[in-house]
Amino acid sequence: MHPALAIAAKDVRQRLRDRSAIVLGIVAPLVIAALMSLAFRGAETIHLTVGVVNSDHGSAAAGLLSALRSPGLKDLVTVVPEQSEGSASAAVHAGHAGAAIIIPSGFTNSVSRSRPLPLTTLTNVNNTVAAQITSSIAQSFVAQVNADRLSVATASAAGEPTGSAAAALDKAHLSLPIQTVQRAFGAKRLKTISYYGPSMAIFFLLFTISFTARSFFVERDQGNIERMLAAPLRPRSVLFGKVLSAFVFGIVSLSIIAAVTTFAFGADWGNPLAAGLLSLAMVLAVTATTALVIGVAHTQRQAEGISSFAVFGLALLGGNFVFVSVTPPIMQRLALLTPNGWALRGYTDLATTGGGLAIVGLPIAAILIYTLVVATAASVLAPRALTP
Amino acid sequence: MATVEDVTTSVPVLEVSGITRRFGDRLAVDDVSFSIPPGEIYGLLGPNGAGKTTTIKMICGLLQADSGTARVAGHQAGTLAAKAVVGYVPQDVALYPDLTGRENLQFLGRLFGLRGEVLDERVDEALELSDLADRAGEHLSSYSGGMQRRLNIAAGLLNHPVLLVLDEPTVGVDPQSRHAILERVQSFGQLGMAVVYTTHYMEEAERVCDRVGIIDQGRLVAEGTRRELVDRLGERDRIDLGASGDIERWAEACRALDGVDGAAVADHQVQLLVHEGRKLLPAVLEAAERTGVQVSSVDVVEPDLEAVFLHLTGTALRE
Repeated sequence: MHPALAIAAKDVRQRLRDRSAIVLGIVAPLVIAALMSLAFRGAETIHLTVGVVNSDHGSAAAGLLSALRSPGLKDLVTVVPEQSEGSASAAVHAGHAGAAIIIPSGFTNSVSRSRPLPLTTLTNVNNTVAAQITSSIAQSFVAQVNADRLSVATASAAGEPTGSAAAALDKAHLSLPIQTVQRAFGAKRLKTISYYGPSMAIFFLLFTISFTARSFFVERDQGNIERMLAAPLRPRSVLFGKVLSAFVFGIVSLSIIAAVTTFAFGADWGNPLAAGLLSLAMVLAVTATTALVIGVAHTQRQAEGISSFAVFGLALLGGNFVFVSVTPPIMQRLALLTPNGWALRGYTDLATTGGGLAIVGLPIAAILIYTLVVATAASVLAPRALTP
Repeated sequence: MATVEDVTTSVPVLEVSGITRRFGDRLAVDDVSFSIPPGEIYGLLGPNGAGKTTTIKMICGLLQADSGTARVAGHQAGTLAAKAVVGYVPQDVALYPDLTGRENLQFLGRLFGLRGEVLDERVDEALELSDLADRAGEHLSSYSGGMQRRLNIAAGLLNHPVLLVLDEPTVGVDPQSRHAILERVQSFGQLGMAVVYTTHYMEEAERVCDRVGIIDQGRLVAEGTRRELVDRLGERDRIDLGASGDIERWAEACRALDGVDGAAVADHQVQLLVHEGRKLLPAVLEAAERTGVQVSSVDVVEPDLEAVFLHLTGTALRE
């Protein structure tokens, strides 16, 4: 067995016996991914119940109800009739309805007057999403009515008889204006677990950097590295063995997390071959970063500090905690300087497009460029760590 | 690859010639030369910081000499060929607490290219040698300090070295384990292995070493058998005096006495190197009274390596 393989095998054996390594490498990412998936599940399938108090029963009220029950909103809103403002208020307060709309008595008739009656929305501060959506729907409807009123007023000013204008309003097809429909360029919707599964797997994979670097300096302080160097092997075999163990542990960790999140939580990692190659590239990047930290640090404490900085810096920039797409443009650009940012982009594309290798070609290339640059720096700096 | 069996007694296993090493401005090892034939146990005796560890690290290829050479079985120290025939036992237990005794030995054996049956045989042999065969499957963390030391030494024998380098293997070891370790080291020499044994314990050097090199401040100030070194003292005696008070001042007063060749202070003791110790005692005690020192013990001892060290360096080994 090549000395580097012996060193890697020994390290992997030690890590598999180390409960904290198992927790950090496998248990924690699974638990956190599951929790984050639960926490953000609402963001991927928003649906709300809106209570409607119809005290008007006129054509304008019918138009609003028709709009709320239109095919465009049926996946988003369920309309529940309420008898009075009091019952609607109670339903919103109890959480049975996300929000409510009060259509006042005489609303239809008031539309043709100079001072029309307002629609009222009841909202709950504990459900701001429902409040915003309901208000938005009500405002859109009111804007439509106002546009119709303007049309009628314009026709009346142009000499049309008042009755004819009123009839025109009656017949107006009240509906919400053209709406925007959000849709990713991929064919499939991205499930939260499909983002946070890979995201947390990568985040905890980054901890391999601190784990391995720390272990190297502990062994150096305890004389184990020196003892290895007294054996007939080349010094770089020691370094290679150490980072090889990080590579193996990273692959094992990612594979287990991918399998569990797929089969237990329904995550979609996309095409297995493409996801596998992407993961391989990401683990290589982590391995190279580990070697660089060993090269830059001089002591165990320095290794811990530098690796913590690297782990959290990469995780924050790369989007392991929040969707990069909701961050400011500068953060989105910075994410593309990190291997984990590219990896997450790759996993997301795989999950939403159903594509294969072609989809992850660019992310893999970007990660490998990062790896090459970091590995080159590490090959210059890391051998210093072996010098007493 | 050379082994103990095929290294003849006519060729030194280790030849060190003028090796020098600096750390910044500090000269850690200064022009040290010595050689060791097969089967000889060579002691490097000196106080902490004398340059012993730096010297053996250069022999083992862990440090590069600024100048001079070291050759092991004809190979330049530090080359893979030289490392293959050297067994290195570091001062601290450099093993893994979370691996079993057997796993530790297997790992280190693999670094020497051992595998399969040969590896198993060598590991079993090392476990037998360290009397740990029955606990081979237990984690090192469950071993006592003495057991860990024994395994630490046995690990240095896995490659059947022609040269075994032991760096203060008994530091921090209880007397019983120390005795066992010293017995074992003596047996290595009988097996034909050359041994470099560093220590700052004079008794250990006297007991196990065939020859001793006395090293102080990076320089090898003398070497020879115990007899040869002690003979350098001539008719001198060593007087160890336990005392309290300003013993530095007392030692200074003693140095001024006729017949005192050297005086050193260590561990609340004054060591004197004198001619005709018993005759000189009254003057020494009078100096103690004069300097206000209370003497608690007086011991006139036979010339030994400690006295040699005092004679050669003017300081005590434990200083």
